Amino acid sequence: MAGGGSTDPWPRIAALPMGRKVEITDGHGRRWIGTVVARHELSGERILPLKLESGYNIGLAIEPGFEFREIEGDRERRTAEPSPSERPRSGGPHVALLTTGGTIASRVDYETGGVRPVGGEREILDFYPELDRSGPVRIVPVFDRLSENIVPDDWVVLAGRTVAAFHDGARGVVIAHGTDTLGFTAAGLSFLLGNLPGPVVLVGAQRSPDRPSSDGSTNLAAAVTVARTALLGEVVVVMHAGLSDRRFAIHRGTVVRKMHSSRRDAFESRNRAPLGTVDGAAVSLAPWARPPTSGPARVDGPIDPRGSLLWTYPGLEPDAARAFVRGQRGVVLAGTGLGHAATAHLGWIREAIADGVVIAMTTQCLGGNADPYVYATGRDLVGAGVVYLDDLLPETAYAKLLWALGHAPDAAGVAALLRRDLVGEFTARHLVEGSG
Amino acid sequence: MKAGLEVHQQLAVGKLFCGCPGELADEVSGTFERRLRPSSGENRAVDVAAAFQAARGLTYRYESGPANCLVEMDEEPPHAMNAAALETALTLALLLHARPVDEIVVMRKIVVDGSNTGGFQRTALVALDGSLELGGKRYSIPTICLEEDAARKIRDVGEEVVYRLDRLGIPLIEIATGPEIASGEEAREVAEEIGALVRATGRARRGIGTVREDLNVSVEGGHRVEIKGVQELRKIGEYVRREAERQTVLLGVRDALRAAHASVGGLEGVDVTALVADIPNGPIADATGKGGPVLALSLPGFAGHFRSPPGTEERLGRELADQARAAGLRGLLHSDELPAFGVTPAHVAAIRSFLRLGPGDGFVLVADRSAERAARAVAQVARRAAEALDGVPGETRDPLPDGRTRYSRPLPGRDRMYPETDVPPLSVPTERIVQLRRALPERPAELRARLAATLGLSDEIVRQVVAAGVVEELEDLTGRGYPAALVARLVTQEVPAVVRPPTDGFSRDALAALLSAARDGRIAKEGFLPVLQALAEGAATVPEAIERAGLAGFTAADLADLVARVVAADRDLIDSRGDAAFSAVMGDVMKEVRGRRDGREVADAVRRALAPAAPKSEP
Repeated sequence: MAGGGSTDPWPRIAALPMGRKVEITDGHGRRWIGTVVARHELSGERILPLKLESGYNIGLAIEPGFEFREIEGDRERRTAEPSPSERPRSGGPHVALLTTGGTIASRVDYETGGVRPVGGEREILDFYPELDRSGPVRIVPVFDRLSENIVPDDWVVLAGRTVAAFHDGARGVVIAHGTDTLGFTAAGLSFLLGNLPGPVVLVGAQRSPDRPSSDGSTNLAAAVTVARTALLGEVVVVMHAGLSDRRFAIHRGTVVRKMHSSRRDAFESRNRAPLGTVDGAAVSLAPWARPPTSGPARVDGPIDPRGSLLWTYPGLEPDAARAFVRGQRGVVLAGTGLGHAATAHLGWIREAIADGVVIAMTTQCLGGNADPYVYATGRDLVGAGVVYLDDLLPETAYAKLLWALGHAPDAAGVAALLRRDLVGEFTARHLVEGSG
Repeated sequence: MKAGLEVHQQLAVGKLFCGCPGELADEVSGTFERRLRPSSGENRAVDVAAAFQAARGLTYRYESGPANCLVEMDEEPPHAMNAAALETALTLALLLHARPVDEIVVMRKIVVDGSNTGGFQRTALVALDGSLELGGKRYSIPTICLEEDAARKIRDVGEEVVYRLDRLGIPLIEIATGPEIASGEEAREVAEEIGALVRATGRARRGIGTVREDLNVSVEGGHRVEIKGVQELRKIGEYVRREAERQTVLLGVRDALRAAHASVGGLEGVDVTALVADIPNGPIADATGKGGPVLALSLPGFAGHFRSPPGTEERLGRELADQARAAGLRGLLHSDELPAFGVTPAHVAAIRSFLRLGPGDGFVLVADRSAERAARAVAQVARRAAEALDGVPGETRDPLPDGRTRYSRPLPGRDRMYPETDVPPLSVPTERIVQLRRALPERPAELRARLAATLGLSDEIVRQVVAAGVVEELEDLTGRGYPAALVARLVTQEVPAVVRPPTDGFSRDALAALLSAARDGRIAKEGFLPVLQALAEGAATVPEAIERAGLAGFTAADLADLVARVVAADRDLIDSRGDAAFSAVMGDVMKEVRGRRDGREVADAVRRALAPAAPKSEP
């Protein structure tokens, strides 16, 4: 099928579908043969992305005098989906794997050049064929979203699916989740899930699964090991403990935070040592790990999303903060140092509290207590009615606030819930080791 | 025979995708461990070479130091491509008359042997369709790529391989030639010329391991075989020649096997452990002693064909043994070499009868303490035996120091390449090309012409200087006033005889000191070699090296004394043979001078000593 001619070939070349093999000539003896591949969002104008016979991709600038022809009967082969291998279904209780998207369940998207979530059980097992080697794993697709697109209402959905999985006989539940907001979800689920008969393990991947070095497979294997074997009745996060694919840390869901944008060991327990470790098949837990209950698991909802999180910083305009707080039932401040906001903010804070808004204080230092009594600023804030939340991470305080807003009708009730240690989220003794 | 080259030259511009220094380092401050698994490319296929490596299930350990950052550890996405490296690649493209691509797409080439922390090498095609003129012949240069060098292998013990990150990410220019090279010698010349071209940019790294060549060789009826990572240019010719020979032998073996109606039944061996369990030592006992199996693979029609045909050392037996080694075994035994290694004629007879083999049939024994590994090895050996019926399998081979090569892995296909999504495509603006074209460096041919003209050196000496990559040394030292011919000899002959590559060995100041000593008459040029050797063995300064080499303090007067002594001793000879005695006397004197005085000076002294004594013989 000839596509040449004297007219500009670009519109027709641009319309070629992916996988079509073409020959392009420039009219001066230069020739390129390749397969049309996906165009990158950041590619230039009139650039045709071609995969050459060598496997290399190039971008070819198509000029008006160029000619092209499709090469018939030689379409790029797309290997058939591998058929699922026969899996010996060993007996015993299963682990439920809830998928939500995220890097751990993403693959290269050749349409956009980025990574996109994989969908469905088939694709997950293609990715992680070793997943159910040590026992049955049931895969439950829940969302298909990168974690920056997960909202607090999704925590409630996940909590419901988790409880359903336990009711279905799961020994433990693993939730594969994007790492960006994995800490928020872990905190949210920690407050939303009650009476857990087994571990709820959130897990992610920092390095994309389309690279042979992805941490996804080893993280997932470690998470499944925890879910299958650990005597644990709480929400935890399992990720790399260091740069090696050997040891994995188990973090309590309310004290964990992503502390690096790309490292495998980005997740850290703050203010205390991790809850445990996984080394091969061996799981070890700290004595303060919460043991499983005899069940049944339940969702301790609802949440009220009319709460928010605000960092204080030099130059934050009191009027901007006042506007931000409007319509909220509660605000967590991530204050400076021991939990401070500039004196200029006292005005709107007093007004908000008078209007029944809960104002809670944490420290943006992400380690140590918020303490109002050391400086006059803190004493003024606590005097105005700000609720100090000791060493709660700002994100955990925010998740807890939404949960408390769903469980108490007034500010006093919300404040009382915020101050109460519900799931081991406060750390009373800050030791040198593991102080964050 | 057809051969093509891929020249890989490191650039001295830092690293390709991060800001780390591009130098090798001794300091190790930490290690970490990784496991790699193959991932599928754009079309979902897993590359055969990648799957092959992953099947070995190795753990990789990496050593990192202060000169490494998170990018090399695969803990942070790559930064923007090094601009100087890209500029160098584009400059080379223009020097080689190639067309830069309009938009460069960085690819991931899957390599799961652990040499890259990510499990892939980043590589980009920069230019297409170049050419190189050399010795009146035109070689096509189909592609010029810019890629990351791999991590440096430090140890390979058992199930763990240790790499260091210092080399990982150093930019490599990859220049490929078409299959137009007709001999090993020609391959070496083309490699030298391409090396000189890269050095012309002024950005080539120098020293050991900074240049590596992949050689693609095939003979008529054979198959493309890639010999990967040859570091010594002077051995290129030998590798090419021996690979051609290997392929020719394999084609002969194929014809013989076909004539014998040879065949390979299946990929599974037969367990013959019970038949050989009484062997007390040797490779069989090593396996059976640890509870491992002995597997036999019957190969009907193969008898006599495992051995080398006359006139060569190449043989099918080694090809099969390489497969067993690739599967993690130490080797195998084939029926042409049995009975031996503890296997008696009775064992051979028992195995033959058990396998129901006729006299023309062969077999292979594989033994290992792991049943799984033994089975894998048998399957690989059977596959390779089947390939022998087709002739030469396409594969990747490792160069060995003795000029031979060894099977390393299957040839990778295009399935191993997919886009590096962390790096956006890079457009190559026409204006940039125009600028680079205006500022092209001196080509090797121009350089040679200039050196010959300005330094008065012969074409052949200039060719050697440029090929050896010691132009900087030549220009520096002649600039300091030393005679060009002497400097050229020093840097192309004496220095490489002591240390390889020559640019690694001695500082320019040391070479200058050596030349000064020659100019001042403290040593003769014949003394360069022993003095350099003394320097290489630890002498701190050139005078100390001269001392250590035993060349110090031999004056013109000492020479006169020596000559007089030798002439006296050789008196009878001189009297009987006249002028003809000159070379004998000269030889005796030189033996004792040992490079302490210039050869011409010695000859003059000998001639002077002989002149009055030797009577002219009348006709």
